[in-house]
Amino acid sequence: MKSPFGRGLAGAIPYGLVLPGLLLYLVFALGPSLATIVYSLTDTNGLTPRPLNFIGLANYQEFLFRGAAAQENIQALLRTLLFCFLVTTIQFTLGLLAALLLNQRLAGTRWFRALFFLPVILGVTIQGLVWRLFLYPLDGPVDSVLGLFGVQSELLGGSGLSAFLWVTVVQIWSNLGITMVIFLAGLQTIPDELHEAARIDGASRRQGFWHVTWPLLTPAVTTNLILSIIGSLQAWQLFLVLINYRPGTQVLGYVVYAQAFGQTSGSTTSNSFRQGYGAAASVVLFVVVFIVGVTAQYLLRRREERLLG
Amino acid sequence: MRNRIIATLSVAALVAAACGGSTQSPAASVVAPSQPAASSEATAATASLAPTTLRVLIHQNPPFTTFMESFNKKFEVAHPGVTVDMAVVAPNDLATTTQTRLAAKDVDVVDMFAFDTGVQSYMKEVTPPIWQTLADAGSLLDLTDQPFVQNYDPAATKDAGTYNGKVYEINLARVGFSGLYINEDLFAANNVKVPTTWAELVAACQAFKTASVPCMTAGGQDVWPIFVTGYGILGSAYPDQAALVEGLWTGSIKWNDPTSLAMWDKLRILATDMIESGATGIPADGAPGRFASGEVATLSGFTWLAPAIEAAQPSFKWTFIAFPGSDTAADNKYVFGKYDQGWTVAADTPNKDAALAYLSEFSEPTTYQKFVTAVGAIPTQPGATLDTALGRAIAPSLGDFRIGWERYWIPPTGAGQFAFPYASFFKPFGEFVTAQQAADAAQKDLQAGLDAIK
Repeated sequence: MKSPFGRGLAGAIPYGLVLPGLLLYLVFALGPSLATIVYSLTDTNGLTPRPLNFIGLANYQEFLFRGAAAQENIQALLRTLLFCFLVTTIQFTLGLLAALLLNQRLAGTRWFRALFFLPVILGVTIQGLVWRLFLYPLDGPVDSVLGLFGVQSELLGGSGLSAFLWVTVVQIWSNLGITMVIFLAGLQTIPDELHEAARIDGASRRQGFWHVTWPLLTPAVTTNLILSIIGSLQAWQLFLVLINYRPGTQVLGYVVYAQAFGQTSGSTTSNSFRQGYGAAASVVLFVVVFIVGVTAQYLLRRREERLLG
Repeated sequence: MRNRIIATLSVAALVAAACGGSTQSPAASVVAPSQPAASSEATAATASLAPTTLRVLIHQNPPFTTFMESFNKKFEVAHPGVTVDMAVVAPNDLATTTQTRLAAKDVDVVDMFAFDTGVQSYMKEVTPPIWQTLADAGSLLDLTDQPFVQNYDPAATKDAGTYNGKVYEINLARVGFSGLYINEDLFAANNVKVPTTWAELVAACQAFKTASVPCMTAGGQDVWPIFVTGYGILGSAYPDQAALVEGLWTGSIKWNDPTSLAMWDKLRILATDMIESGATGIPADGAPGRFASGEVATLSGFTWLAPAIEAAQPSFKWTFIAFPGSDTAADNKYVFGKYDQGWTVAADTPNKDAALAYLSEFSEPTTYQKFVTAVGAIPTQPGATLDTALGRAIAPSLGDFRIGWERYWIPPTGAGQFAFPYASFFKPFGEFVTAQQAADAAQKDLQAGLDAIK
């Protein structure tokens, strides 16, 4: 078979260069993913050194249909979609606004770019701990500010909805920098000549944005939306760090962790590990992310083709 | 078209990461039952150990951590060439870390919560607790014939460390979790009597509220201190907690029957009215410091908090009482608690000699006594005494020490997340406002699990 890269060694070298990365992907990403599907058909707890006991689709049946726990799983699924919607739309909007602002030739823009990007380089644990301090309800910074307006709130420790919304805020804060940087990169690829031509033709700033900037930002829009949708559907670590196990707050990713690693009762001592069941929950999450991700990709590609040809 | 396929596969690759991801307590006393302590022969026999790194895993409890750091140094001095690599994890993470490190053969000695009641005959289709799973999996070393096991109260070893006739854990302590720490200065300054009944506690909190003094604090950020706090109320409603669990499973007791409803109302008052505003932000290990600041009248909590209170403010005057959850003073004599932590050894440890020497030396009566004093534990070793302020305060209650509900309870598979008697379900920690809401939700979620296994 003829290599598209040429004959002999020259044709083989590109494949050789790809091979290490491909092997790493197969071993550390695709392999565990396929194993997860296998585990989801068993009752493994991750400990017992015995052959896998296959129980068919019982884990899926339990996860989706058995008792009140199944209803809570469905609620967690809906909460995950709500989280995805809130994070994607707000992060996208704020990231675009920040990029537009920091793409101006103004004093201090580099400093602000660094400031907005700073949370991205912090780990989830650090992000969570910082916000725990911010949201400390006994005269913490946010509590003090709210107190000035006569508002008393338990913040993260309050109602499930309140805690959920605060985690949403932190998720947006922690990833806003990436969205902003991608938009900045997109903005800086737009030639100044196009803006200049639009101005000469009498376009206002608003018209310039909608008819020049926005269409040419399409690749950045696609990238940002896909990353944000998939990232927020999979997110769960901040829920763990910020609010731990609380009724009415879990997203699907957290359910996977809680079931697989014995964090379901809220108790520190009476835990059970259900890694087969957790794997089934993980596969359900995979299917959700896959459907939403592929649909979004399809729609965004069509949009790209329509706008850019 | 090819681009679309590649793009679709790229999305698939990105999302692929989505996958991957007989136990009744004996009546305790401050001095454990008399039993001859084993000699230190075992220690002598293992005095010369091969150089190695002993990997130890413990849960976070500041006084315990401090004690263990000191013990480790002495152990290393006694055994040149042996290094103790001790990891400390939050209590919530202990089970997960234990599981992963045992599976990775990355740990030798593990601090594990007690072997409490496992699956009972009336329970169907439940997942056994982790200790049972680990023992069944052969992940824990059989300690039955180790001499240092004899240093401990046989009843404690039987109830909290034995499974299928083999000893897998030496249990180090009993702890009470249905207690109330009293700020003696604030009670005196406000002329409030230390409560012996629920009505008196309610009246006391009202008096403090009138004086603008927070009545009670607790580590609400971690949630579990709130619901464990309510176990005193649960205990006053159902003194026989093993019977309660069986009754819930068999249907003779319901979470929304009159007795339970009264219990839920007290839990509501506890969470909503008694615990101070802002407690949702106080971590479990921050609550003793908050109490020791002297600004709060009571701390609802557990016996293991006492050393942290003393460390935070040595001159602070406090005492400890069994939680007055009942309107009858005589019913409030019980301290509900559990066997707490213990030592286990990984079955396939390459450092078996060092691990056993570690446990042996820890179990020496003099060392164990220092542990008891440092941690404020109710001892499980004969002759050890809890000669601290807590020990003196709790002594009258220890004859009525009982194992608490959470050590018996395993929920039916399919039960919802409200199938528990948790004060944390009420505002501000949760959503419920009335006792009836919580009672009905708890019974509904429990019944859903029971119905699913019919």
